[in-house]
Amino acid sequence: MNMQYISVPFIDLKLRYQEEKEEILKSIDNVLTKGHLILTEEVELFEREAADFIGAKHVVALNSGTDALMLALWALGIKKGDEVITTPVSFVASTAAIAHVGARPIYVDVCDDQNLDCSKIESAIRPATKAIMPVHWGGRVANMGAINEIAKKNNLLVIEDAAQAMGAYLDNKHAGTFGDVSAYSAHPLKNLSALGDAGFLSTDDADIANKIRLYRNHGLESRDNCVLYGVNSRLDSLHAEILRLRLRKLSDIIGRRRRNVEIYKKNIKAWEVFIPEEKENESSSYVMFIVQAEKRDDLKKYLMEHQVESLVYYGTPLHLHAAAKVYGYKVGDFPVAEGQCAKVLALPHHQNLTENQILYVCDIVNKFYGVN
Amino acid sequence: MKVPYNYLPMQFNNTDEIFREWRELIESTDFTLGKYVAKFESEFAGYIKSKHCIATNNGTDALILGLKALGIGYGDEVITVCNSFYATTGAIVSVGAIPIMVDSDDRYQICVDAIERKITSKTKAILPVHWAGASPDMSAIVGVADKNNLVVLEDACMGIGGKFDGKNPGTFGKCGAYSLHPLKTLNVMGDGGMVVTDDDALASWMRMYRNHGMIDRDHNVMWGVNMRMQPLQAIVASFGLKDLDRVINVRNENAAFLDSLLSRSELEDFVKIPVRSNRNVETQSLYMGLFEHRDELIKHLSKNEIEAKIHYPIPLHLQAASKQFGYKVGDFPTAEYQAGRLATLPIHQFLTRHQIRFVAETISSFYLGN
Repeated sequence: MNMQYISVPFIDLKLRYQEEKEEILKSIDNVLTKGHLILTEEVELFEREAADFIGAKHVVALNSGTDALMLALWALGIKKGDEVITTPVSFVASTAAIAHVGARPIYVDVCDDQNLDCSKIESAIRPATKAIMPVHWGGRVANMGAINEIAKKNNLLVIEDAAQAMGAYLDNKHAGTFGDVSAYSAHPLKNLSALGDAGFLSTDDADIANKIRLYRNHGLESRDNCVLYGVNSRLDSLHAEILRLRLRKLSDIIGRRRRNVEIYKKNIKAWEVFIPEEKENESSSYVMFIVQAEKRDDLKKYLMEHQVESLVYYGTPLHLHAAAKVYGYKVGDFPVAEGQCAKVLALPHHQNLTENQILYVCDIVNKFYGVN
Repeated sequence: MKVPYNYLPMQFNNTDEIFREWRELIESTDFTLGKYVAKFESEFAGYIKSKHCIATNNGTDALILGLKALGIGYGDEVITVCNSFYATTGAIVSVGAIPIMVDSDDRYQICVDAIERKITSKTKAILPVHWAGASPDMSAIVGVADKNNLVVLEDACMGIGGKFDGKNPGTFGKCGAYSLHPLKTLNVMGDGGMVVTDDDALASWMRMYRNHGMIDRDHNVMWGVNMRMQPLQAIVASFGLKDLDRVINVRNENAAFLDSLLSRSELEDFVKIPVRSNRNVETQSLYMGLFEHRDELIKHLSKNEIEAKIHYPIPLHLQAASKQFGYKVGDFPTAEYQAGRLATLPIHQFLTRHQIRFVAETISSFYLGN
């Protein structure tokens, strides 16, 4: 193909905005005109619509995905002295949420697809273990069948970190409908995104949903009655209205991202680039398209020289961060995750890229490895 | 004559300027912290005369962030006041500490004389509240804290723009926390808050903790949380700050006018407006007074289309959530007496003299007949 200059940005929220500018400004105007800004009907409507989309009984809208994880763990009674089995491959907020309720993260290595290796979970279970918290990394649902089986057998709770998995499915069931409580993020870089921070959680348990509803709004049963000391983790009405608008577009956006990923899969020829296979019963939300590449740092540089942005999610596994020192992990504890950290690279695949742009990236990648 | 409590539709009647900046923000997609939040932080630090301002999600998070930064945690005792919004106690409980409450005084502020008696070997901090936009005697509180080696975190959620001995609420202690909730004098279109401090180390710790404990994208030195202020709201707050002194002046003029109307000797058996201290410029976040037969009065006002509120009919120590701390009726007689009589009248900057006079007349007619 013609190798002329094409720039391929990793994200382009501006294009997304251009696409829906009038609708977004109208949404904002709708909310402001009413003069009420906190826990209004827009929040309730978003909760109901998101619950319908997910196929969960309850959705509670919150300030951020981090808050959603923290509140999920809190509501399930995870506390000081408890252990939670989780993955070393995630954003720091996954482990931080566990640390925040006073519990201790116990890491288990991952598979080729970067999700929890279920064959290693059971040997990590100890008397203090209370829960398993898989992360649907990149938007791929972890092996929930196996995880639920282990949880049931060992009497453990399951919290799904579905921060990246809105719109992802496994066996035709939406991510977040397998565990006890599931947390989602609507951060600007997610497929369903607000214009700032936002998050929510889902559960089928009405008592848990009510408890979290109370906790997110100061524990107030009514304006004058405080039944538990809570916090403020409300989703803004402005953002609720924007999320309602964007929820209606979510499937379309994921479809367009999937199309871009298909182009990558067909056209990257270099064996040095490993693309984890999407199994037949899986449907990723494609929040990220992460490949595992030899000589990753050189490839990233080479791409940049050709105006192609790519990002490393992430170069350091959670157990090797300075913040994790207290847990006593060391290099070599999770060889698969550590190996991947040296290879992972997220390629631009967002819904506003053209086929030509993706083909151009494939060409640059192939060229880097000397494949024609 | 309608006298509404909620003034947001009037305040946000013309949002063209805000929308213009929102468009810029949305087109720039600077959605996570970013330049608009940094701009507001530096404007607010300048306004409040503090070295650092760390913008948060809301006032509750600001309190929690301050407590965490000061190292308050499991088992520590924090002395605070029993009349405040739930978040004051909520913040203490959420870091695992124990709220030790004291009574309020005749200005609805923390009873300073009662603080020292509550200090034990577990006490780590004093958390006074600038309730309703007035201030307690901060010099005395800082004195008690210094003498007993305690830190002071101020709940100045209602205190923005006030002064005590010429100094800003929130700048007396180690840290001060503020709220930008829609019903605050400086408000945004949703939630927002901030913490201020003069301490460089505390400030950088709070900045890191607020954003997942990250030094940068790839280095995490502590397990933090997400307490970031929304850039959309930072823009609204910057606009509000420009107009804040004028707004507070108008509210104070309204309050002085209403004070004078309610100070008639015929009303003295029924109505008590709080003692105003000449050391304290208030912000009139809430205009509160004590009224006999309060519940009937509020009904009477409501019949006359005057919206009044109660902040709050049940003090914190008697809330169901406080049961675990073992307080009982009679523990704080002043606050309990006030809770039975408090009413908050509309005082906002959009009221006319005419409306204020109508409020006073309606109250007079309730007690004295026509």
